[in-house]
Amino acid sequence: MKNTDIPPFLKNVDEIVSQCDRCGTCLTVCPLYGVKDIESSSARGKNNIARGLINGVVKPSPDVLEVVNFCLLCRTCVDNCPSKVKTDDAMISVRQYFADKNGSPGVKYKALGSLMKNRTLVKFSAGALKVLRKIGMNTIVPHGMAPEEFTRKQYLAAFAGPAILGSSVKTSPIALSNKSKVAYFKGCGMGMMFPDAVEGTLAILRTLTDPQIVDNLCCGLPHLAHGLCSDFLAMAKENISLFEKSDVIVSDCASCSGSLKHIAAYFADDPVWKDRAAAFSRKVMGISEYLFQAGYTPQWRGDAKLTFHEPCHLGRGQGIKNQPRQLLKAAGNFIEMKGANVCCGGAGSFHVDYPDIAQSILDKKRINIESSGADIVVTECPTCLVQLNKAAARSGGKFKVMHISQVI
Amino acid sequence: MITEEIKLKVRDIVGSENVLESSVDCFGYSYDSSFVPMSADNVPDLVVIPSTTEEIAAVMAIAHEHSIPVTPRGTASGRTGGCIPVQGGISLALHRMTKIIELDERNMMITVEAGVRTVDVYNFCAEKDLFFPPDPASWKYSTIGGNVGENAGGMRAVKYGVTSNYVMGLEVVLADGSIINTGGKAIKNVTGYNLTQLFTGSEGTLGVITKAILRLIPMPKVRNTMQLMFPSLDNACNTIHKMLMSGAVPAAAELMDRISLQAVARHRKLDINPSIEACVVVEIDGESNEDLQKQAAKIDMIANEFEVAEVRIAASQQEVDEIWAIRRGLSSAIGAMAPNRLGEDISVPRDAFPKTVRLIRKIAEKYNLTIAVYGHAGDGNIHPSVLCDLSKPGEEHKVHAAVDEIFDAALSVGGTLSGEHGIGITKRPHIAKALGESGINALKMVKQAFDPKGILNPGKVW
Repeated sequence: MKNTDIPPFLKNVDEIVSQCDRCGTCLTVCPLYGVKDIESSSARGKNNIARGLINGVVKPSPDVLEVVNFCLLCRTCVDNCPSKVKTDDAMISVRQYFADKNGSPGVKYKALGSLMKNRTLVKFSAGALKVLRKIGMNTIVPHGMAPEEFTRKQYLAAFAGPAILGSSVKTSPIALSNKSKVAYFKGCGMGMMFPDAVEGTLAILRTLTDPQIVDNLCCGLPHLAHGLCSDFLAMAKENISLFEKSDVIVSDCASCSGSLKHIAAYFADDPVWKDRAAAFSRKVMGISEYLFQAGYTPQWRGDAKLTFHEPCHLGRGQGIKNQPRQLLKAAGNFIEMKGANVCCGGAGSFHVDYPDIAQSILDKKRINIESSGADIVVTECPTCLVQLNKAAARSGGKFKVMHISQVI
Repeated sequence: MITEEIKLKVRDIVGSENVLESSVDCFGYSYDSSFVPMSADNVPDLVVIPSTTEEIAAVMAIAHEHSIPVTPRGTASGRTGGCIPVQGGISLALHRMTKIIELDERNMMITVEAGVRTVDVYNFCAEKDLFFPPDPASWKYSTIGGNVGENAGGMRAVKYGVTSNYVMGLEVVLADGSIINTGGKAIKNVTGYNLTQLFTGSEGTLGVITKAILRLIPMPKVRNTMQLMFPSLDNACNTIHKMLMSGAVPAAAELMDRISLQAVARHRKLDINPSIEACVVVEIDGESNEDLQKQAAKIDMIANEFEVAEVRIAASQQEVDEIWAIRRGLSSAIGAMAPNRLGEDISVPRDAFPKTVRLIRKIAEKYNLTIAVYGHAGDGNIHPSVLCDLSKPGEEHKVHAAVDEIFDAALSVGGTLSGEHGIGITKRPHIAKALGESGINALKMVKQAFDPKGILNPGKVW
């Protein structure tokens, strides 16, 4: 019965989804199933649609692509699964399969991919956003918040990349020394939407080192997530070359640090790039991971009640959970909120593609932030920042949202 | 086929947002947690997600009028294909029937809708120091409706019994859409046939269970865990018998054979002496720590009579978790050993446990298959896991032959096909061996009485 000519991407999927025992554990944890409780929302539903595709029971169709796109790639299911089935990896591969089959991932993602592949366009977009911010937005949205108007007008459809995680990666094995040459990796989302936070990151880095500013390309995450794997690989090669002289590469975007750490795995079978890619990925650190290891002490200590929203790409994606919390404990009155590691519904472009579902997920997050009594919710990811700002607006100013580089 | 006119009526009853029709959405209701192969034939024509008993009654009335198959479903965590709609029709998904209607503390009973998760029933009662004991492995995601429908068991059965021991009454929608209430809160009740127990374990073939009244007991004050390692399987079982006979009844007594143990050892990077033939994890509960110490000492003494190699009594919660991690990690550890695994669920008289395990070992040798054996040794419920690679030519045939012989082995020692998973689809071919032709006929007569058109979960049990 099995499809005999399974394309390579689906072979990889077969290995993953055949491990699904269909027990149903994921139904209790999947944030999407939590707001839309039909089988195809859940990891079990998606994995079995993938199985169906492979053995011919399910025919490829736009409906099927819709189901595999309807995934936050947040890895909550993977963490809770008794067999640790990597649903996120499987969904990414199925998306790639559809993109190859259709010759394109679709107009929207193709346009997004082309934009983010191009340095000048990314900067231009950032410039355009900056101008808009200057028309008086900064007074009402301090601390680098994304003005809500931008999200409402769906600017993010073009500017924020969709999410992707891949398998969980380890924290960087690099030992830091005073002589380490530290480079800053500027993510598109941070640069375009949160320039104040970027300034904060650089100011902090300057207290420890003389950070190299490299004119890097996009980390390639949006491309990988939506069937543009070859673009991802091409950009990765250029970024590898650009950072070859650095000892440490620090990013203040959890999605960038996570995906850059994954580059090694994507070149594992490439004899030419294998070693260089591995060396590159080893050097990557998230900002809180780097600061914690470098022994950074926050520049001030306030009374503000701080809580942390743990980005999927940081906690489950890279295992960075303790570091940001320790830094926040040193900077203020830290409170752990309920469900801190639950996805906020942002997930790259998910919140633009499925605004109602993303809003329902975010409402749960907002209630948890409000119940914690925190003045400020802190995070380390631009997409999360955008979502949390929406939550802050909806809460009527009960809390503020800041990037970790702005509070330590 | 369900006509557009009928679909319209169904949408009117439950609301169009609660009816799924697209093939990709309906596909999600074509499987459960069993090893039934995927098939386009199992995809329902319509998925209906009701929220009230009245909606279900109205849907059943339409289905009855037009002879449309209806297969009730909780969260599809079943192991035998019970909720797979093999004849298409309507998949009736009850997971939104999640109301806890009443907790009656004085009568110690709780009334819940069918879609409430087992874990939620447990937690709700635990807050009032009341205890709902049945704990199938799936209890964190399975629903009470499913548990009652399959008469689910669990690890605590040795001391506290299975789901049916706690079902006092049911609300059931019959095939024609009429609603009946069986049993009730009266402890003594001989008014009419005991339909409560008939519907319990009927696998959705006689009616749709929509509510259940469940009996509760006081929550034990304290619990502890012990781990006993035996160089001999017989002595592990002897220890359990003697414990039970002498009144040291454990809340759970889980046995793992050497293959299971070594699988866990590899998976969790533990060092377990290969000379250990059986590990028994025992849970004890009681009124006070003193009470627990007494029980532990007694069990320790009995185990020593039977040449136990190691007795570990947990001294901290961490140690409790460590010991249970071995048992809880078993399923995935065994799963990781081979591409495919067929888990079975035979049940034998308690004293036939070692003999059955030996018969299973012979079958494994004969077919050159690895079969890991673990189970609820306290109640004779054995889960042999046949490890295999179904992509290998001839393997599937071999595995099915081995499973056939495992069933024969269970029947030969006075046991039966299923302890707690039900018959569903996967064990249908074997039921005649267990019940005989007259036995099956009796089931058919019951079915005919309740569901003359055969629309409720057709194609199951026999």
